[in-house]
Formats: sequence, C-alpha cells, structure tokens
Amino acid sequence: MAVDPLIELRDVNKYYGKLHVLQDINLTVGRGEVVVVIGPSGSGKSTLCRTMNRLEAIESGSISIDGQPLPEEGKGLAALRAEVGMVFQSFNLFAHRTVLANVSLAQIKVRGRKKEEADQRSRELLDRVGLASQADKLPAQLSGGQQQRVAIARALAMSPKVMLFDEPTSALDPEMINEVLEVMQQLARDGMTMVVVTHEMGFARSAANRVVFMADGKIVEDRTPDDFFTNPHSDRAKDFLSKILKH
Amino acid sequence: MDVLTKNFSLYGKGFLGTVELTVYASAVALALGFLMAAFRVSPVGSFRALGTVWVNVLRNTPLTLLFFAVLLGLPRFGLVLPFKLFAVIALGCYTSAFICEALRSGINTVPTGQGEAARSLGMTFSQTLSAVVLPQAFRSVIPPVGSTLIALAKNSAIAGAFSVTELLGTYKTLSELGYDIIWTFIWIAVGYLIITLTISAVFNLMEKYWGVAR
Repeated sequence: MAVDPLIELRDVNKYYGKLHVLQDINLTVGRGEVVVVIGPSGSGKSTLCRTMNRLEAIESGSISIDGQPLPEEGKGLAALRAEVGMVFQSFNLFAHRTVLANVSLAQIKVRGRKKEEADQRSRELLDRVGLASQADKLPAQLSGGQQQRVAIARALAMSPKVMLFDEPTSALDPEMINEVLEVMQQLARDGMTMVVVTHEMGFARSAANRVVFMADGKIVEDRTPDDFFTNPHSDRAKDFLSKILKH
Repeated sequence: MDVLTKNFSLYGKGFLGTVELTVYASAVALALGFLMAAFRVSPVGSFRALGTVWVNVLRNTPLTLLFFAVLLGLPRFGLVLPFKLFAVIALGCYTSAFICEALRSGINTVPTGQGEAARSLGMTFSQTLSAVVLPQAFRSVIPPVGSTLIALAKNSAIAGAFSVTELLGTYKTLSELGYDIIWTFIWIAVGYLIITLTISAVFNLMEKYWGVAR
C-alpha cells in the first residue's frame, strides 16, 4: 500500500557490543501512514525508532527519509532532523525554559524565525494541544500528560514531515494517557505520517494503518491492525497478544 | 605593624601583581577550560581525544614543573615573551584542566534526554550545548569553578620564584630590610585573603542569583 515512501529502511543492522539489536530490518513507511511498532521489551522497537533520526547510528544498511539517505554527523544531519519530529518516553522538555520557550527555541535557532513570530506559532500549537493557559510555566510545574503534550507541540513547531513517538505514554499515570493519545489521534486524522512505538493496543487498533510486530531484533509481522489482532500468524505474536490482551 | 605602612608601595605592587596574574590566568583558564569541555563531549572522536590528553597531561603535572617547562622550554623553541606572560600561560593552562573537568561534571548533571531532544529538533551540536546543556550545567558548576579560581589565585605565588612581581615575593625584599618575618607574612596573608574572599563573594552572589532558578 505504500505508494509514496517517506521512510525507507533497507537491511539495517545494529549491535550493542555483541548484542545484535536490529537484524536485517526492512521497513517502508508511506506518506500519511501511521505505523505502530509493538513487541516485548528488548525487542529493539525503541532502537528502531531512534535510528530513524540517527540518535542511534547503525552498523550496516541504509535509511532514507523522503528519498534522502540519512547524513553523517554535522549540519546535514541537523537539517534532516528538523524534518523528523520526535517525542520521547521521558518528555525531555528543557527544564530551564518556560513552556512557551520550549516550543519556540528550535523555531528561532533552526528555522531562523523572529521571536514574536515563533511565539505566535507556539501559542497556536499549545492551544491545539489544550495548553494555551500554561505557556508561562516551567515544565516541572506541569503534570506528565501536560508535559508530553508540550513535547508534541514542540516537535510540531518545526512542521516535520514525519513524527516519531518512542513510547510516549509509558511514563504516564493511567489517567493521563488518554489526553496524550487524543492529541495523537487528532494528528493521525490530520494526515501526519507517524511511527509510534507503544503498548497502547487501543491506539494501534483505532489509529494505525499498519502494525509492525518486533521480537528479538527482527520484524516478525507487518500487517493491518485488524488482521494482526484477530489472526496473528507467528507463535511469537500469539504468545505476546495472549499475555497483554488477557485482562 | 609598621611593616605595612612603611612599605605600602611594595605591598601594593605585589598585591596588584597577584591580582593581575589571577585575572588574566582566570580568563585564559575559563576560555580554554570551556573549549576543552566542549571537546570532551563532542561527537568527533579526535576532539574528544585532544581534550582528554590536555586534561590528563596538565592536571597530573606539578605546577612548578609546568612553570619550568614554559619559562625555560618555550624560549628554546624561539618563543621569547615577558616572564609575566609566561606565568599567565602556565597558570591558565594548568587551571583550565580543572575548569574543564568541573564544567564536564556539570554537563553530566543535565539529563542526556534534553540533549537528544535538542538534536532531534535539528539543533546543531554547538546550539544544543549553548542553548540547552550549558545554561543548566552552569548552575551546578558555580561552586567548583569558584574553588578552582581561588586555588589559581594562591598558585600564582609560584610565579614569584620566577621573578614575576607578585604578593608572596615581597617577603624577600622585606626580610632583607630586616622586618619581622611574622608581621610580613601576616600582611601577605591578608592580601591573599582580600583576593580569595572577593572571588568567594562573587561566586556566592552568582550562586544566589542563578543557582536556585530551577
């Protein structure tokens, strides 16, 4: 179904010392697609997500974004990262700056926007994630769910071509998970290309075009959510689903 | 007591000499220490290696030996400068190793995720360092950098042995003139205290102003 590929991984291999964390990964994410990556811990799904903007370097294979191979360290890589938004498990807001400044900083530094212009866009985005009234607070004064929504706004401020989510709700209290998922659902409806590493099966069912199931550094299944959840092919996926869907 | 009043200009020259050495060498140490700390956390391997060698060589060399190396060594390679400038170079380079390590420990207090977030937004290494990491690292390095600069002020006494005018060196002239050695040293100590307590006070103020904003 991926007619217009935005992210392409070809024969990607990565090691941590002797541990072969990504083994011959081939994955294509089409423009406008929402791909959810699930799998047991240690399966390499977070690492996979982090290789896509080269926060993790790979040993062999190739990764290209919108037809461009990922550059080595340097200006080229920085420019490409600006096109790839990323949301982390631990939010990673800049602790010394206000919420507004968090969203504006990279717009000013990377996109070269004037402060007023950046702040105006930041306020629009904060409004979109429901946090317009929190603009002048420091990150530590917000709840986890609020911080994560600021982090999403911060990534969106760069107008990225694709958004990577690395377990965005795993560090949140259960009652705050929904407010973050709702923002992500809205993004998906707006046509944003997304790669989401998550344990939220509900989100995978409702928002994903494809589910990629990983185990032991390999992609084991890559299918539509309906297909995957009702009729998993591999024993590994059956075992995983039986454990998480029981309760 | 009258050792001070009768030799005020001698003390004054020595005092100013020590202040000058301290200020200039501090500037060199802060600039080089900052640069080396950036090298040591850089993504480029050869920069990291250079920073590591710099710190390990300078931090582990006795300062007196370093003074000999600079004052007697550099002229052999045709670099002849005033002794005072040599002293500033020796003191500044030596102290930069300690400043570098203090800065680096401050950088390590900033969660790595913040650097990753900055890079994932497309900020370059130097933007990440200057806009995100260092402003936060800065707060936790104020006390150790203060201590290092106080040590520098006291270490400047070694320059006196290489005929650079500074505070401790005044005792030679004064004892030749037959003044009581105890009072001579008490007034020298007071001179050092003025300098070091001033540095302490400045850093205490900085800590009050920036250290609690988190």
